Amino acid sequence: MATQQRRAVITGLGIFSPIGMDADSFWKSIVEGRSGIRPIKHMDVSEFPCRIAGDVPEFTDKFAREIFKHNRDHAKSLKMMARTVQLGVSVAQTAMVNSGIAKSGVDPTRVAVEFGAAIVHTEIEDIARASKIATNCQPGAIDMKIWGEKSLEEIPPLWMLKYLPNMPACHVSIMHDIQGPSNTITVGDASSVLALGEAFRIMQRNLVDFVLVGGTESKINPLNFVRQMLFQPVTPSHNDSPATAVRPFDRDRDGMVLGEGAAAFGIEELEHARKRNATIFAEVCGFASGFDRDRQGKTLARVIRKALADAGITPADVDHINAHGMGTQESDRWEANAIREVFGQSVPVWGLKGFFGALGPASGVIEMLGSILALRHGVLPPMLNCENPDPELNLNVHSRESRAIQKPYVVKINFSDLGQVGAIVLRRWDS
Amino acid sequence: MKQRRRVVITGMGVITPLGHNVPDLYQSQIDGRSGVGPIEFFDARSFPTNFAAHVKNFDLATALPNGAQWSFCGLNTQYALAAGRQALDDAGLLDNPRIDPENIGVYLGSGEGGHDFKSLVESVARATPENSHSPDARAFFQNSRRNFNGRHEYEMEMHTTTGRLAEAFNLQGPNMTCQTACAASSQAIGEATEVIRHGDADLMLSGGAHSMIHPFGVSGFNRLTALSTRRDNPQGASRPFDLHRDGFVLGEGSGIVVLEELEHAKKRGATIYAEMTGYGTTADSFRVTDSHPEGRGAIAAIRNALLDSELPNEAIGYVNAHGTSTKVNDAAETVALKVVFGDYAYKLPISSTKSMLGHLICAAGVVELIISITAMRKGILPPTINYENPDPICDLDYIPNEARPKKFDHFISNSFGFGGQNISLVASRFSR
Repeated sequence: MATQQRRAVITGLGIFSPIGMDADSFWKSIVEGRSGIRPIKHMDVSEFPCRIAGDVPEFTDKFAREIFKHNRDHAKSLKMMARTVQLGVSVAQTAMVNSGIAKSGVDPTRVAVEFGAAIVHTEIEDIARASKIATNCQPGAIDMKIWGEKSLEEIPPLWMLKYLPNMPACHVSIMHDIQGPSNTITVGDASSVLALGEAFRIMQRNLVDFVLVGGTESKINPLNFVRQMLFQPVTPSHNDSPATAVRPFDRDRDGMVLGEGAAAFGIEELEHARKRNATIFAEVCGFASGFDRDRQGKTLARVIRKALADAGITPADVDHINAHGMGTQESDRWEANAIREVFGQSVPVWGLKGFFGALGPASGVIEMLGSILALRHGVLPPMLNCENPDPELNLNVHSRESRAIQKPYVVKINFSDLGQVGAIVLRRWDS
Repeated sequence: MKQRRRVVITGMGVITPLGHNVPDLYQSQIDGRSGVGPIEFFDARSFPTNFAAHVKNFDLATALPNGAQWSFCGLNTQYALAAGRQALDDAGLLDNPRIDPENIGVYLGSGEGGHDFKSLVESVARATPENSHSPDARAFFQNSRRNFNGRHEYEMEMHTTTGRLAEAFNLQGPNMTCQTACAASSQAIGEATEVIRHGDADLMLSGGAHSMIHPFGVSGFNRLTALSTRRDNPQGASRPFDLHRDGFVLGEGSGIVVLEELEHAKKRGATIYAEMTGYGTTADSFRVTDSHPEGRGAIAAIRNALLDSELPNEAIGYVNAHGTSTKVNDAAETVALKVVFGDYAYKLPISSTKSMLGHLICAAGVVELIISITAMRKGILPPTINYENPDPICDLDYIPNEARPKKFDHFISNSFGFGGQNISLVASRFSR
């Protein structure tokens, strides 16, 4: 390991979420216990067992264009982006502005971008004419000859570029003249925690002074939605009570809810941030990742310990665990095993998915923002919907009332349904 | 010399259009053979591009023991499992009780699993009224819920390739996937090298896998006019640096390498194929459709890789180019090499093995690295085939058409991804 580690602090924030379109409103919703999970209105989902989602209705084309009103070319380029990409580049814009980094004259080759993303599914409108022309509506009857001759022309020329998962990072690098490393991490729900971890490492090895780290997802376009419905463990029993649908670690939890959103942080080398008097929101101190093959928590526990060691701290230094908290029987049990193994009951567990659902690759950054703001405000509000903590999980769940932040560190956990796990350690910044 | 942990390659495996193991693949490169043929996965007769470089005769059941149990996986994952097993076997790590599973991770640059084109297109078509562009969402849902296969759809997710590898071979260490298009597997290898240098693991499987020879893949690339449309000469279509080049040829497959910390490798007496000595990673910050015409990002990536390796320019004995056979890339890459190497660029043999294999997209970088390492060990450089008409702006030595004996100790492998991610890797003959 490097003997003199460079330190990484968070100097810019941006968020578009089901509970707020900026850090202040996001925090307010958490303090006031207001969920952003709602009945799905933008398409007819009466077919499905789960008809609610954590959506971001305020994010419209008009809203996005407003974000880029200072630059017509950037505003125009939004047209060639899928919603997921628009969310990502727009939130990155707000985070970059919030950080003030552009004014600092930083060398563009010393700035990087790391994004968490997933497959971006085509809007079915984009392939509707092409499909219609080539299909005579009898089973098994797609005419590939017609597809090549006629349907192709009905597909927008830049169609592929609208939907590639690396487009958020690429557009961000273009818009902000980022010439250092650009990477897009695609590990499901663990993506943005892992993207932040890699950003941390790139910073430590002195390749860059600033990294824009983000995560974006919109699982609620028709194609993405129907696919997710085929294999995600959604809750079927809260269509009439969406605000209480996602119940992490609760005895009566019975499934997750899909959603959309994006968030971005500016990660900056400490001295670089100090020199320009940047506002520092928190410090990133530790990272580890692994694969929990049995999905019973053994590797997750080890990864948490590794992240603590990476930060040079012990469980006694941790104020709270910002959990993955999916809200399914299986996933919460898996996570609880690991938390108990490392912390016992000594550290409270705090999971935010009750507010907005499972946001895929955007989960990590969005959920982390909750803890960053809690550390700054000095208070940890209760999480939603864990009214009867499952005794089998035997966790100390922070779900009753607010309390003051008592210790400087937070551990953030996220993992994919298959077993990829990541843990980040954050530290409160005392100015 | 930098004080840091050194990373070597102790195992390699491939599933490609020109061979399902490293010796066969390398021989095909020296023989200058093309892996291109008609597209077989669907009827591409009337597409602008009706040819590609397919993986041939791939049988999951023979590629790995109990292979059939993985048949539910996407084709990209199947290729990765087969190549992964080869690499682990090659490295002596299969079922090796002396290896701690927590100390071996996996980092791939890999693409999505296969689309169910038929089900999707039918579902959309049936939900779209005549003379309309707008499918009815509810009708689409009803159709697609009937047609789609949940298990197949799940295996499209991008974390399934590294996930299934980690499951199959009990790899519990750091697990990452990146998706930076044509740069992905090289970026994965570079970042995995850094994981080991940092001390987060001693062993990392790395590389990539991709299989995009399906209607959406070919449609998408054809709409971008990125593919060659040389239908009258498919095997001559991939002609990097040639004056009449008109786009790339799609390939598919997987390559996996075992990256290992040097002392760990020596302690267990592993065969060392090469050392990873340099890694450069930059962004163009230009356009999503084209690379920077002056090769700005590429220049920086190559320079950074050289700096990282601490090698002087003249130590490099070969460049495996990104060389996609597009007008723009090959010109920009030539410019970049001239800017970095100056006069020495004219003495440096450069070739693009995409001329034979086509473009494996996410898997391109790792397969090209493996070919280059083998060329360094065997002392014969692969050619750029189909080189017939010199382009005045691409005037370097591209090892035209015939393999060439050369002894060298260091090489560079470039991968420049759609969207402007530039990766340059330096690898060296291992010396104490």
